[in-house]
Amino acid sequence: MSVLGAVGVGLLMGMVFGFALEKSRVFEPGMIIGQFQFRNFIMLKIFLTAVTTGLVVLAVLNGLDLVKLSPKATLFAADVGGGLLLGAGIALAGACPGTVAAQIGAGYRDAIGTLVGGIAGAALFIHVQPVLEPLILTGGPGKLRVDVALDMPYWVTALAFAVVWVVVLVALEKWRPWRVDLGADHDGLGVPPALGGGANVPDGQDPLAVGDFKIGLRRE
Amino acid sequence: MPYGLRDKAWSPYAAGVLIGLLQIPAFLLINTALGASSSYVTVAAHLVSLVDPAVSGIKYAAQHLEGAKNWWQVAMVAGIAAGAFISSRLSGVRRRGFSPVWTRVVGLRSLAGRTLMGVAGGFVMLLGARIADGCTSGHGISGMAQLAVGSFVAVGAMFAGGILVAMMMKRL
Repeated sequence: MSVLGAVGVGLLMGMVFGFALEKSRVFEPGMIIGQFQFRNFIMLKIFLTAVTTGLVVLAVLNGLDLVKLSPKATLFAADVGGGLLLGAGIALAGACPGTVAAQIGAGYRDAIGTLVGGIAGAALFIHVQPVLEPLILTGGPGKLRVDVALDMPYWVTALAFAVVWVVVLVALEKWRPWRVDLGADHDGLGVPPALGGGANVPDGQDPLAVGDFKIGLRRE
Repeated sequence: MPYGLRDKAWSPYAAGVLIGLLQIPAFLLINTALGASSSYVTVAAHLVSLVDPAVSGIKYAAQHLEGAKNWWQVAMVAGIAAGAFISSRLSGVRRRGFSPVWTRVVGLRSLAGRTLMGVAGGFVMLLGARIADGCTSGHGISGMAQLAVGSFVAVGAMFAGGILVAMMMKRL
């Protein structure tokens, strides 16, 4: 595809992506910090749902031989070290590299700083990559995949994983309904007004502990 | 109507399915998986080349400077901002300044202070994402869907790093 065509496809895909990130409220820093503090599970639910959908999509597309998979190489030191830094950065930024853009679009001004910091981090990496490459960015066992390691067809393994994630999601939702985590102002903080929250509910009080909320939700 | 464009919030499952379905155009039209963080390298490489043209001599920078895949991802990240803007306009949930969560968990009260924290966070985040060769999208959504072992490892480390730092903040 031409560069211009790819840019057009990218813009359209990004708009759908940004719409989903905004509507689900996962771009809110309160949701991200809440997930890492184990009191808000919207991020994990979206994440696992997107993974599950991807598993089904790729099981079909790859199973019909329409697309080739392009997994990343396994490099344990880089995956662990980079992953730890990435997570620490996400907690400090209250966003991941994609949701920074959603924060800017939704109006958060501090996200412009996060974007600038991110570009600076990428600029530094460009310059240290040649040093890191022989140390941790090469070697390793290659593009390891679970299905290959198990000697199973990809589509079968992918669908099996999809079933596992659906079970996890159903349990997660039963344990903690997503509406509880929306927050008083759709930002993951406090209790949603529809569920008995509001100005008189103390900050940060666990929504599940407020009144008869659980019963209220069941009646809904 | 359920999931209207003017709704303030959709269920995480609707959003997750929508995001996962984006793998279809990514794989079929662009021949790649969803990702976001390498677009920062493309933008950074171009910005650095304005002051230091020699940067294009670095192999890693050169790989990210041109080509449909690189510009596709930059356009997609820009599109995310546009999509979130339109969505927040339609629902009327516009944001100003910074989220109140920052005052509660780290006591920040000024936009300047919070923006500086954002700069630091963004810096560490992208440095880590590039070392790991992927972020929440590339390793998370795409890598785990492709059953890549390295992506499971990177996502586990990502959550560990995030939990560690968030637990040092005030717990709400």
